Amino acid sequence: MARVVVITSGKGGVGKTTSCASIGTALAMQGFRTVLIDFDVGLRNLDLVMGCERRVVYDLINVLSGEANLSQALIKDKRVDGLYMLPASQTRDKDALTTEGVEQIINELKDDFDYILCDSPAGIERGAIMAMYFAEAAVVVTNPEVSSVRDSDRIIGLLDSRTRMAEEGKPVSAQLLITRYDPERVEHADMMSVQDIEEILAIPLVGVVPESDAVLRASNKGTPVVHDKESDAGQAYLDTTARFLGEERPMRFLEVERKGFLSRMFGGR
Amino acid sequence: MKRLRDFFQRDQDASANVARERLKLMISQDRMQRNQPDFLPRLQKELIEVIRRYTHSASDDIQVSCHALPHRSQIEVNVSWPKNTS
Repeated sequence: MARVVVITSGKGGVGKTTSCASIGTALAMQGFRTVLIDFDVGLRNLDLVMGCERRVVYDLINVLSGEANLSQALIKDKRVDGLYMLPASQTRDKDALTTEGVEQIINELKDDFDYILCDSPAGIERGAIMAMYFAEAAVVVTNPEVSSVRDSDRIIGLLDSRTRMAEEGKPVSAQLLITRYDPERVEHADMMSVQDIEEILAIPLVGVVPESDAVLRASNKGTPVVHDKESDAGQAYLDTTARFLGEERPMRFLEVERKGFLSRMFGGR
Repeated sequence: MKRLRDFFQRDQDASANVARERLKLMISQDRMQRNQPDFLPRLQKELIEVIRRYTHSASDDIQVSCHALPHRSQIEVNVSWPKNTS
């Protein structure tokens, strides 16, 4: 039976889609059949980050309105076996997202998959509520920045009240993923630390992804950054996924990398 | 190196600390409002109108707060007014 997970944040641009693509890819690499659903109707982007934008024929709204069935709309990832995505509609009205329709799709996917990752749109409107409604677990993506942390707290409140689990009196297991972390700025006390954010939001930490050029490079190419196993961000997402699956791993990339004399003289970056 | 830098930066406000304190305050307010019933602002406004009709209190002198108890919610109304106008 599949586990439904929402990747959410409240604020836009903090890395929900990047995180969804990388965690989903890493889950599939571990052998779990995984499907990613883009709930950002009107502003779809997951297809771009996954690099399958040219293979989109039908989308979530087509399936909801009965114009296509699920197997026609699902796009199979070309790099990793057992990884699929369901794109959002770029043009259609998000009012077509109904609780009943979404439930039907998720139930159908549950038979075939181990993990269903719902990539939430920013904000707290219908799309965001629909993305979280059926979730049993949530990854709350947060940047070390005041508005992002505040919005994440708001989203955690919604997870506790506006989901089916909450309505049944059960908690949604929410975990914190901090992205765009810059240890150097934390050291200069110009950025809140992991401990600060953990203390304020009071949910368990699942990972810290450092600010990294690799993320932009990856989205430019349409290859989730987790494929770039040399990169800090790629490794951070692998760690995050392992922790999500229950493995204990120490947090990395929290300290400023001290460059040796030689690399300071000769090494680039 | 770092100590030297810290020494020179000590006077500057560490902006991360400011961020943390502002957030703590803001979020505790947010959380309080989040658990309030939707009708509370309207109830509050009407209560204040009725009370002021009798007490002529300044609006600052009427405080309506909402509390969540384990099994029920409670509102608390505090009113004060100057002696000579009552």
